[in-house]
Amino acid sequence: MARSRRQNRDESRSRSDTSASTSPERGYDDDKDSIMLQSNDSLSSLAPSVSPDSDDDARRRAIEEQNRVSPVSRLPAELMIAVFARLASPADLKNCMLVSKDWSRNAVGLLWHRPSTNKWPSVKSVIKTINTADSFFDYSSLIKRLNLSALGSEVSDGTLASLHTCKRIERLTLTNCTKLSDLSLVAVLEDNRSLLALDVTSVESISDQTMYALAKNAVRLQGLNITNCKKITDQSLEAVAKSCKHLKRLKLNGCSQLSDKCIIAFALHCRYILEIDLHDCKNLEDDSITTLITEGPHLRELRLAHCWKITDQAFLRLPAEASYESLRILDLTDCGELQDYGVQRIVAAAPRLRNLVLAKCRHITDRAVMAITRLGKNLHYIHLGHCSRITDTGVVQLVKLCNRIRYIDLACCTNLTDVSVTQLASLPKLKRIGLVKCAAITDRSILALAKPKQMGSSGPIQASVLERVHLSYCTNLTLQGIHALLNNCPRLTHLSLTGVQAFLRDDLLVYCREAPPEFNEHQRDVFCVFSGVGVQRLRQFLNTDHDHQNRQASFSDNEGTMYEDGEEPDVILNVTAQANGMVIDEDEDFGDSEMLGQD
Amino acid sequence: MSTEATNAPKIKLVTSDNAEMEVDRQVAERSILIKNLLEDLGGDNDEAIPIPNVNEAVMKKVLEWCEHHRNDPPASQDDDSDSRKKSTDIDEWDQKFMQVDQEMLFEIILAANYLDIKALLDVGCKTVANMIKGKSPDEIRKTFNIQNDFTPEEEEQIRRENEWAEDR
Repeated sequence: MARSRRQNRDESRSRSDTSASTSPERGYDDDKDSIMLQSNDSLSSLAPSVSPDSDDDARRRAIEEQNRVSPVSRLPAELMIAVFARLASPADLKNCMLVSKDWSRNAVGLLWHRPSTNKWPSVKSVIKTINTADSFFDYSSLIKRLNLSALGSEVSDGTLASLHTCKRIERLTLTNCTKLSDLSLVAVLEDNRSLLALDVTSVESISDQTMYALAKNAVRLQGLNITNCKKITDQSLEAVAKSCKHLKRLKLNGCSQLSDKCIIAFALHCRYILEIDLHDCKNLEDDSITTLITEGPHLRELRLAHCWKITDQAFLRLPAEASYESLRILDLTDCGELQDYGVQRIVAAAPRLRNLVLAKCRHITDRAVMAITRLGKNLHYIHLGHCSRITDTGVVQLVKLCNRIRYIDLACCTNLTDVSVTQLASLPKLKRIGLVKCAAITDRSILALAKPKQMGSSGPIQASVLERVHLSYCTNLTLQGIHALLNNCPRLTHLSLTGVQAFLRDDLLVYCREAPPEFNEHQRDVFCVFSGVGVQRLRQFLNTDHDHQNRQASFSDNEGTMYEDGEEPDVILNVTAQANGMVIDEDEDFGDSEMLGQD
Repeated sequence: MSTEATNAPKIKLVTSDNAEMEVDRQVAERSILIKNLLEDLGGDNDEAIPIPNVNEAVMKKVLEWCEHHRNDPPASQDDDSDSRKKSTDIDEWDQKFMQVDQEMLFEIILAANYLDIKALLDVGCKTVANMIKGKSPDEIRKTFNIQNDFTPEEEEQIRRENEWAEDR
């Protein structure tokens, strides 16, 4: 692992060296070194007791003696590396490097795999070592991961350019390093054939030059995130598509300058695409989407939020009998042109969809919801916020046929009543429910959600597994329902009740979390979100405050608000968090937590 | 477990020091090497399987571990990435099991590696990692009886070149 050109120099140096030790073991230390070096290359699991020069008795006896004195020396390099790999702290690895030459060779690769670069002094020290002419190891070739995003706009072209000798970087993460330009990017990409993932989110000044350098060098590239890089054009991305055929994960969020041209190039040349996020690529039209689906047999995740121009045609043009079994996640947030026919078609063509986001697809009706019920047990996550035409009929049917739903958002579906929520309450795995501005619902809904569930027809009674409940602007709710919810949902960590009169009381609001800084005064006045310990404290308070009934009506009226609900930022955050992940390894589990595989 | 054990099919192993050991097939198959060997031999086979790289004392210890973990779920495909996780938590029984002298500890690791018992190798590596954690280079050398073969200049050079490596 740590075999560098330096190593041979070390060997010769240590042989001629006379100063270090006068102990009698000195002589065979060196011999042992050379044998350990051999076993570096060996796939054998055997200790050096099987020596390549078994005719040399003296040497063998020396090794035996060494092993007797220091049993750890029996472990071959690969096992020492396996031990060092369990050390999380760079400080421990550094201490290992200082133990002996043998140990330093086995530890250096792990230590430099991903140097600490979250603070300036560390970065400076790393750069200094890299640029030391006569360093003990060839450190620059050991760096596999480099992440400068913690320093963001402090990183200059000079900083990055001074790392240009690191030609084996596999993951380069430069999120928000806004000062960087093509100059240093091109320098660092030049001659690097190892790059697997590049993240230049919001490095807005980079242009086609960087992408051409990427196309020329990064033949193994699997992940590319150019979120908000608005100077990059279709032309250079077509070049990337043609030469980086192993791309699996692509994020082009906010690149509204791009057209169907480059997306179709990616679809045609990169046959292994697993995830593509085109959030806010407002210029894209139906053609690119149809091609991505038909040409990408492995496509698992397709995010098209705010791609306004997309219509039903994107899906209606799919071949009639084709089935896209890999597609699990489809985000069509705010694809406002979409109608029931498009939803019907894509659900039929992608029968294993697990996450389906149709928020703000305002045209869709119960007919689309009925089509979605065909996903059955596969459906875990469904967002229908602002699909205000859907009714209890659709929701009831959805719950009956898709009983593995864990997450459902029905914000602003104003037609819905207690009938829907009572049905939703029967979902055994429901963790998160969003009912913001479903103003018709009453405590009846909340009491249904709070009720423990029977597993199966005669199974055990189990407490609700609800974790996050969004009830802002459900203005009919009172303390009674929420009190029951708190006492029956032990896993509850988030409860939003913004704009619900019954909770706008000083004695309850002390447990509420701070309103986001960007909120105006009116938004602050009605803000009411309990999270984490806030939920526990509210529960505690209600359980000890016996005469709360008497005080319940003490707060004055404050008419309904015209503002968006208080928790919208929370929802957006969640989506962005997902959008920022860029993962290389195949990973069957793509829950909310799937993030960049940074250990 | 004992009723299960009496009826269970047995196999024979011969260690490097020519000791013959009889053991439940299910227990021995915690070792992927032995499992594959048995599959290659096929069917019922009374022949003793030679294990030329492990002696009796170490084999006994390894089989003790296999016996305790005989009903663990088999290693999954993801185990490789799992073992890369930098956790040094070890369950209580395994911790006690690993309280042996260093000679035995490293022999167990070598045997686990040779016999391809990933979970045991993992416990062994974690145990050694725990012996390293938080110690200065000198304390590590004392713990493992290692000779410092750096010149003072070389030691200083390495210290300087790796200055950034402090606790995160």
